[in-house]
Amino acid sequence: MNVINFEFKKYVGSLWFWIISLWSILVMFMAMYPVLARDAALVDLVLQHYPEELLRAFGMSGGLSLATVAGFFAFVFAFVQLCLAIQSAYYGFQFLSVEERELTADFLYSKPVSRSRLLLYKYVAAMAALLITNIGLIMGTFLSIEWFRGSMVYDVGVVISLLLSVPLFQLFFFSAGFLATALSKKITSVIGPAVGLAFVLYAISALQRIVGGALLALVSPYNHFDPNYILQRGDWNMPLVTLSLVFIVAANVVAYFMFMRRDLHAAV
Amino acid sequence: MNIVRRELWAHAKLLLYWSLSMSAFVWMMFFEFAAYYKNPEMVQLIEAMPAEMLAAFGMQYANLTTVSGYLSVTVPFLNLALGIYALLLGNNIIAKEERDKTAGFLMTLPVTRPKVVSCKLIAAVISCIILLAVVVGSILVFTLPYEVESEFPRFLLLVTASTFVFKLIFLSVGMLMAAATRRYKLSGGLGVGVIFALYLASVLTGLSESLAFLKYITPFSYFAAPQLLQALGFAPVFLVVSAVIIVSSLVGTYLMYGRRDLYV
Repeated sequence: MNVINFEFKKYVGSLWFWIISLWSILVMFMAMYPVLARDAALVDLVLQHYPEELLRAFGMSGGLSLATVAGFFAFVFAFVQLCLAIQSAYYGFQFLSVEERELTADFLYSKPVSRSRLLLYKYVAAMAALLITNIGLIMGTFLSIEWFRGSMVYDVGVVISLLLSVPLFQLFFFSAGFLATALSKKITSVIGPAVGLAFVLYAISALQRIVGGALLALVSPYNHFDPNYILQRGDWNMPLVTLSLVFIVAANVVAYFMFMRRDLHAAV
Repeated sequence: MNIVRRELWAHAKLLLYWSLSMSAFVWMMFFEFAAYYKNPEMVQLIEAMPAEMLAAFGMQYANLTTVSGYLSVTVPFLNLALGIYALLLGNNIIAKEERDKTAGFLMTLPVTRPKVVSCKLIAAVISCIILLAVVVGSILVFTLPYEVESEFPRFLLLVTASTFVFKLIFLSVGMLMAAATRRYKLSGGLGVGVIFALYLASVLTGLSESLAFLKYITPFSYFAAPQLLQALGFAPVFLVVSAVIIVSSLVGTYLMYGRRDLYV
């Protein structure tokens, strides 16, 4: 329990920063909804006269209209996911590697607690931090929607379905960081790989939203948990979510065994 | 020269990972292009469109059935990734001495601090050029199966040049942040926040006329690829803005790094 407490306290400081960032994104974008929805409704009116193929040829097809609450929120949520991905990947790359980088590994791992126990405690503390972020996100989501939606209506059920996908999304990036830590000899920089991973996968998914295509969608978890898909249909894209799940399980299992037999880099 | 070589080797592995993932990205990008290239249904519809309407469409949106048009849509996303690389590299190349506790060693060598910054800058620019060459090379290779338009070579050249300037902006800003902040952890976080905010700003510019002024703030909008394809040239104002940002960040880096207390 001491380890969990100690670890969790280290997260508290940065948690505020992440939750406030998420709230700022939500509020800033949703505040623009009333104005943009009017513009978007006009654009929709014009575009509906064009055939679907033509719109596709110009990369304007598909998805929900930005004029609806759900459509606009799907647009906003892509940036929320980017922020969540950076945070989760950061925690994933950080939570084990920090001990070796800051030369506290020999202190910690010489305690009369088994390595698997320590890993479990650290894992639980990180999960708690991600869960709290999640709670903050849920609050921010509904507050910002209710605040700015005006007289527009939306389906609460599908938004909840989207929010329920967030833990898996976080776990994907966290596990990627965990796996990378376990596989590499030494993680020197945490922010670099975390941000690189989050942004490159984001760039792939953002391109996929314009040009479509199955291969791009397979690669990026942002597409596995595509807010547009979930808000439009109310359920998850099961084949792609399964792919994410398989990755999460495999990454954790491999990382666990690799970490158990790891040579720890110690001071001196 | 020793420092330049050392810095290049220190970042070689990172560069390798980025080169591999960026070429994979370009490959996937053109893999999906097959669905668009000369797609008969789409081409028929486009040809049936009145010329004025096509022009109006083309101002805002790119024609995905042509190689140049498709590339112009994908460039912003390649740039996003390359910009991140440049910013992180600029940040890391300065901050790593303190993080890895090698600053004490480096600074006892008989070289001045401006010289150290210059060597690091040269190494970083070389890395940026290599990664850019890999990306442009992959584009050339993966467009081989397709028949390109007459304006494609010039457009690709413009994209290459603009992406290079774009990377220099982020590289210099990244170096400035690392030189200006004492704590390397802070400078990394700051860099991410800045790039995230700039990216959001560039998305907002496209949403509404009233937000269009943001395009002067965010480098992501300086060399918008659809406009490059339209005009086949740069907007001078953005070249000037870019030069101002790059020069002032570099001057700031030299000044601040020269007089700062190093954490050893």
